[in-house]
Amino acid sequence: MYGTQSRRDVAYEYQAQIPILRPSIHARRANITVKFQDLYGFTVEGNVDDVNVLNEVREKVREQGRVWWALEASKGANWYLQTHVSSTLKSSLKFSALVNAITLKRLIRKGIPPALRPKVWFSLSGAAKKKSTVPESYYNDLSKAVEGMVTPATKQIDHDLPRTFPGHPWLDTPEGHAALRRVLVGYSFRDSDVGYCQGLNYVAALLLLVMKTEEDAFWMLAVLLENVLVNDCYTTNLSGCHVEQRVFKDLLPKKCPRHCFFEKCRIYAHLEDLEFDVSLVATEWFLCVFSKSLPSETTMRVWDVLFYEGAKVLFHVALAIFKMKEDELLMTHHVGDVINVLQRTTHHLFDPDELLTVAFDKVGSMTTTTISKQRKKQEPAVMAELDQRLRRLNSVNGDDK
Amino acid sequence: MATIGHNNLNAKLVLLGDMGAGKSSLVLRFVKGQFLEFQESTIGAAFFSQTLAANDVTVKFEIWDTAGQERYHSLAPMYYRGAAAAIIVYDISNTDSFGRAKKWVQELQKQGNPNMVMALAGNKADLEDRRKVTAEEARVYAEENGLFFMETSAKTALNVNDIFHEIAKKLPRAQPAQNPAGMVLVDRPPEGSRATSCCS
Ligand SMILES: Nc1nc2c(ncn2[C@@H]2O[C@H](COP(=O)(O)OP(=O)(O)OP(=O)(O)O)[C@@H](O)[C@H]2O)c(=O)[nH]1
Ligand SMILES: [Mg+2]
Repeated sequence: MYGTQSRRDVAYEYQAQIPILRPSIHARRANITVKFQDLYGFTVEGNVDDVNVLNEVREKVREQGRVWWALEASKGANWYLQTHVSSTLKSSLKFSALVNAITLKRLIRKGIPPALRPKVWFSLSGAAKKKSTVPESYYNDLSKAVEGMVTPATKQIDHDLPRTFPGHPWLDTPEGHAALRRVLVGYSFRDSDVGYCQGLNYVAALLLLVMKTEEDAFWMLAVLLENVLVNDCYTTNLSGCHVEQRVFKDLLPKKCPRHCFFEKCRIYAHLEDLEFDVSLVATEWFLCVFSKSLPSETTMRVWDVLFYEGAKVLFHVALAIFKMKEDELLMTHHVGDVINVLQRTTHHLFDPDELLTVAFDKVGSMTTTTISKQRKKQEPAVMAELDQRLRRLNSVNGDDK
Repeated sequence: MATIGHNNLNAKLVLLGDMGAGKSSLVLRFVKGQFLEFQESTIGAAFFSQTLAANDVTVKFEIWDTAGQERYHSLAPMYYRGAAAAIIVYDISNTDSFGRAKKWVQELQKQGNPNMVMALAGNKADLEDRRKVTAEEARVYAEENGLFFMETSAKTALNVNDIFHEIAKKLPRAQPAQNPAGMVLVDRPPEGSRATSCCS
C-alpha cells in the first residue's frame, strides 16, 4: 500500500525532491517551454511564468497549512466535524457550530492543505459514515473475494492501467498499477451497474495519490459516485452525464451574458453560430471531474470544494472556464479555435485561486436545489433521446440480418 | 476539379472504433509524428487539427478522436454529425474490434452524412504474429460496403499519412449547395477583421 509507513504528504515528498526552479533571465526572455514536476508528481509542460506561478502556489499551500494547524490548535483537532448544522439547524443550533460552518466553508474554498486532505475529505464527504455502516473488514474481504476473477470490466481495467497517467513516478509502477486495479475492480463488483467506466481510472488514480491508502481511496470513490455526483453518471449509457451537459448548456447563457463587441451577440449564441456544442469539451470535464484537464493541485482544489459543497461545484468551475475567456472566445471564428482557447486555458491554470475566484465570486451563487430542479427538468428529454437513438440503432443492426 | 476562392478546404474527420484499437495513436502519429507505447485512454473525445496538401488543394482536417468504450457510444453522434470523413479503426490482433468496426460502419451508413468518405483502418499491422483478422477478409468487407481499406501501424507509421492523404483526395471538391457535407470552403477574413464572423 502506498505510503502507509509514513504520515507525510505525497505533495511534500515530491517537493523535497524537486529543487525550486529559478529560471534565468535568459530563459525568461526566450520564453522557452520547460518540463517540470507539479505538486503531485506529474510532469507538466509550461513556460517560465508557469514555473513561477507554481512556486507561488507551493508557498500559498504552506501558508494555508499554517492557518489550518492554528485552527486545530485553538478549536481542537477535528473541529470541522462539529459543523453539521444544516440538517439539525432549527432546534439544536449551537452558535459555535454555525461559526465553525461559516469559517469552514470559506476555508475550504481557499484550499485544504495536502497533508490534511485525506482526513478532511474522508469525514466531510460522508465517506467515513458510509464505511461505518459496513463491517470493518469490508474492503479487504471484497478485494480477496474478487481476486483472480475475470469479467468484461476487469479486462478493460487491465487494459487501462498502463494508460492511466503514464509516466507518473508512483502511479506508473507495478505497485501503483496493482493498487489502482484493486480499487477499480473492487468497485466494479460493488456496483455492477457501473462496473468499469473509462474516466474512473483517472479519478481513482488521483484519489489514491491524495488518500494514500487504497481503502480510503475506495470509499472516496464510492461516496463520489453514490452521493456526490449525479446519478447514473457512469452507467451504461451515461445518462446522468447527458443530463449534466444539458443543465450546463442551460446555465451558460445565463451566467455568461457578455455581448460581443460588434454585434449584439452573446457568447452562447456565438458558439452556437460556430456550431460549437459545449459538450464537445465539457463531457470530459464532468466525467473525469477535471482530472484530465486541470493541473493536479488545481483539480484537488476543485475537489476540496466538491466534497464539501456538492456537484454544483462542477458547474461553477465549468462556467468559470468559459467566463475567464469570454472575450477571447467571442473573437474566435472556428470550432477548432474555441477548443484551442479552452484547452490552453485549462492546461495552464496552475494558480487554483485564479479559477476558484471566478467560479465562486463572478459566476454567482447557485444552490444544490436549483441544480436538482434543472436536472429533473432535463431528464425526460435525455431519456427520450437515448431511447430513440437506441431504437434507431437496433433497426440499423437488425437491417443487416 | 474546381474550387471556390482559395484552394483551402476544411474537413471534419472523426475516428471511431473499439477501445484500444489505436485511434489516438493514429492521430498522434499523423499530427505530431510520435508514438507512445502507452497512450492515455480517451474520455469523450479529443480534438486535433492538421493541414495537408493533396493535388491542388490544401485540406485542413479537424479531427475528432473519440472514446472507444461501448458506453461512450451515446456521445458519438455529437462527433460524427456533419463529418466529411470517418476513419473506422480496428486492431488486427483483436477479432471483437473488427466486429465493432462493422457496427460503426452500419451506423454511419444509416445516420451519418451520406457523402461521407469512409476509410477502414486495420491498425497494429506490425503485430503480424498476433494477427486474428486477415487483410483479405477486411478488404472484401470494405469493398462490399463502399469503404476504402488500408492496414496501418501507428507504431511503425505504416500507411498513416497515406490514409489521411487518400481521404483528402477523395473529398468532394466544390460544394454547390451551401455546406451539405459538413465542409466549409474557407475564405478566411484577413487578420484585421476578426470577431466579425459571428451573428452574420
Ligand atoms: N503495436 C502497436 N501498438 C499500438 C498501435 N497503435 C496503438 N497501439 C497501442 O495500443 C494501445 C491503445 O492505443 P490508443 O491509441 O490509446 O487506442 P484508442 O483507440 O485511442 O483507445 P481509447 O481511447 O480507449 O478508445 C496503446 O498502448 C498504444 O501504444 C500500433 O499500430 N501497433
Ligand atoms: Mg483514444
